[in-house]
Amino acid sequence: MTSMAKEIREAAAELGRSLRREGPVLAYLEAEQAFRSCGEAVELEQRLYSLYETLMARQRQGEQLSREEVQAFHELRRQVQSHPIVSERDRALQAAKPHLAEVADEISVALGIDYTSLARPEE
Amino acid sequence: MDVQASSQPAVAVPAQEARKAAQALGRLLAATPQYQAFLEALRALDADLDVQRLGVEMRSHQIPLQWGQDADGQHAAALERLQQELEAVPVVQRYRQAEAAVRQLFVAVDAVISQEAGVAFAVNARRSGCSCGQ
Repeated sequence: MTSMAKEIREAAAELGRSLRREGPVLAYLEAEQAFRSCGEAVELEQRLYSLYETLMARQRQGEQLSREEVQAFHELRRQVQSHPIVSERDRALQAAKPHLAEVADEISVALGIDYTSLARPEE
Repeated sequence: MDVQASSQPAVAVPAQEARKAAQALGRLLAATPQYQAFLEALRALDADLDVQRLGVEMRSHQIPLQWGQDADGQHAAALERLQQELEAVPVVQRYRQAEAAVRQLFVAVDAVISQEAGVAFAVNARRSGCSCGQ
């Protein structure tokens, strides 16, 4: 684990707590909670991720996927994306993103570079 | 006359509290040895003539590749060779090390922010060139 000065850890935690109190983030957290409480939506999304991983693994091994399998994947994805609880969570996250970007800009200004490009594991 | 507000969704302005907290964190991060070392490595990189020469040569091969003009693969091969040459330059190696160190710190900091906020911060705060705001 990376060692981090106590004051930096506290400043980061304070920023996180203040974000949690912001309207768009609160709305997202509520939508996320509603999603977690909906067994049907959770199960549907887990099925999609599981199918995606399975198909990707087979493709990486050079296997050609059948048209039916690809269509089944697209159909499941359509079902997930059109589920009202899932789409509300996704919409809330999209709505929160510009807000988060505004806050991240404040860090970037202090640094002189884009904070978000260095605060994520290398792609 | 029926005057309606713009149909554009309003982007909520962050509260002063979040802005101030972000500014304070930014100042602390800017003062860390990791970040200072990264800036120094970046300046050295920008000033290195070998790096600049390699950059110019690499661009001369990237352009034909972008235009799909590399039927015999010569540009791709040259680009790979130049990339290897670039990575072997000491100032580039020092930059990579400094970048890795500052990234490790920032990723850890971001994990703390995200944990407290309840939402992954940097990955969702990233601006893209897309006007859709995604």
